[in-house]
Amino acid sequence: MIQHIDVHAMLQQSVPGLYADLVTRPTGRAVRERIEREIRAEGAGIALMDFSRVGCLDYSCADEIVAKLLRQEITVLLFRGLHDGHREAIEPVLARHGLAAVLERPDRTLDVLGPQETGEALLAALIEQRIAERTAGGAVALVPA
Amino acid sequence: MTRLVDVPAQFDDRSFDQFAGALAQALTDGGRVLFDAHAAEWASPYGLVGLLAAGEVAGRGGREKPLLTVPTNAETLSYWGRAGWFREAAALFEIHGRYPRGAPRPESEVLLPVTAVRAAGDVHEVVSRIQERASAMLADLGLDPRATMGFAMALSEACQNIVEHAGTGGWVAVQRYHWRRRLARRVMVIAVADAGVGFRQSLEPTEARRYGDRWSDAMALEAAWIQGVSRFRDPGRGQGLKGIRTYVGRWDGKVSIRSGTARITGVPSWDDDVVLKDGLPPFPGSQVLIIIPEQGGPTA
Repeated sequence: MIQHIDVHAMLQQSVPGLYADLVTRPTGRAVRERIEREIRAEGAGIALMDFSRVGCLDYSCADEIVAKLLRQEITVLLFRGLHDGHREAIEPVLARHGLAAVLERPDRTLDVLGPQETGEALLAALIEQRIAERTAGGAVALVPA
Repeated sequence: MTRLVDVPAQFDDRSFDQFAGALAQALTDGGRVLFDAHAAEWASPYGLVGLLAAGEVAGRGGREKPLLTVPTNAETLSYWGRAGWFREAAALFEIHGRYPRGAPRPESEVLLPVTAVRAAGDVHEVVSRIQERASAMLADLGLDPRATMGFAMALSEACQNIVEHAGTGGWVAVQRYHWRRRLARRVMVIAVADAGVGFRQSLEPTEARRYGDRWSDAMALEAAWIQGVSRFRDPGRGQGLKGIRTYVGRWDGKVSIRSGTARITGVPSWDDDVVLKDGLPPFPGSQVLIIIPEQGGPTA
């Protein structure tokens, strides 16, 4: 089962003020803790985090949310709605911890962030669980819900 | 007795060391400090936030609130007002001379007026406020529009250094200006200063033993800058500085951090600064300077 997480909504619920930016450790911690509660309630091992409405993401927040979720709570982390600025914060964090995650591109095909070998294993696991499938063009995409 | 500290006529990161030396001497001598800015002609964002940090230092330890004489140059006075400096200074100095009061006026070259940073919420405010105009300003300097997000990240991480490590508040200012004397190009500048504990004291509990007698401000800066060490044991900590360096380096920019008696610098191709400078006049806390130059412009 995939758990869908609207990161912007989590941010709005976690900190006072109507911010669209995921910056600072305390904010990252508050958002992560809210996401953790959601994940524990649902019991899903796979999370699809939608960053579409998130503005800036800094390194501290990326580390606090992405790295800690992957290390503690989540088997597979899928990203949706990432722009280049988000990737600039997330990729060094994944590299530092040797972690991998999966990115859904705008054309809905999946790509790997982080170590290629680990990422490919994640894609294979998603296919095996019938959460993702090979497209006619040989790419991997999520199975439509 | 009042101890005089001259504010340099051209007050930026280069003249800051001379200023810090004069302040250190005045504090050693004892008495109330008078910051004399009457001859100030120009101050960079670094000078402006650094002067606030100096005001905080000079009023500590039971000393009387320091005095400050305002610049006599009307243009300088007006600029400090527009940059929001007096709004913050009023709480730190007994100001002598007439100066502009009220909120800073929006100005094309001031992306972020001098702004206090005390808590994570202040960092949110700062990042929210700069993004729209930063995008236009950075594009105007020839940077890819995607550079805006990296700029906001660098600003966020620099401000967070205060919240996470300083043990006190600090200030940030962001401006664009034409750096005729040094580079003959326009630059975008982020300056962040606090008068808190600084890198050495922050890292001392976890790092000092490894360095033994060599432990110093310079060693602390080097440990944070090169090895990404942090006082927190969390393995993800200490990466903010690396992120700033990576971003600034991509645009051939300059980043330097002064703390205590040392300064470490990511030196760009257009600058002749040294990477690590030790033995500077002491100044508490950390002072961060980030300069992003216009891309493809003429060099000096």
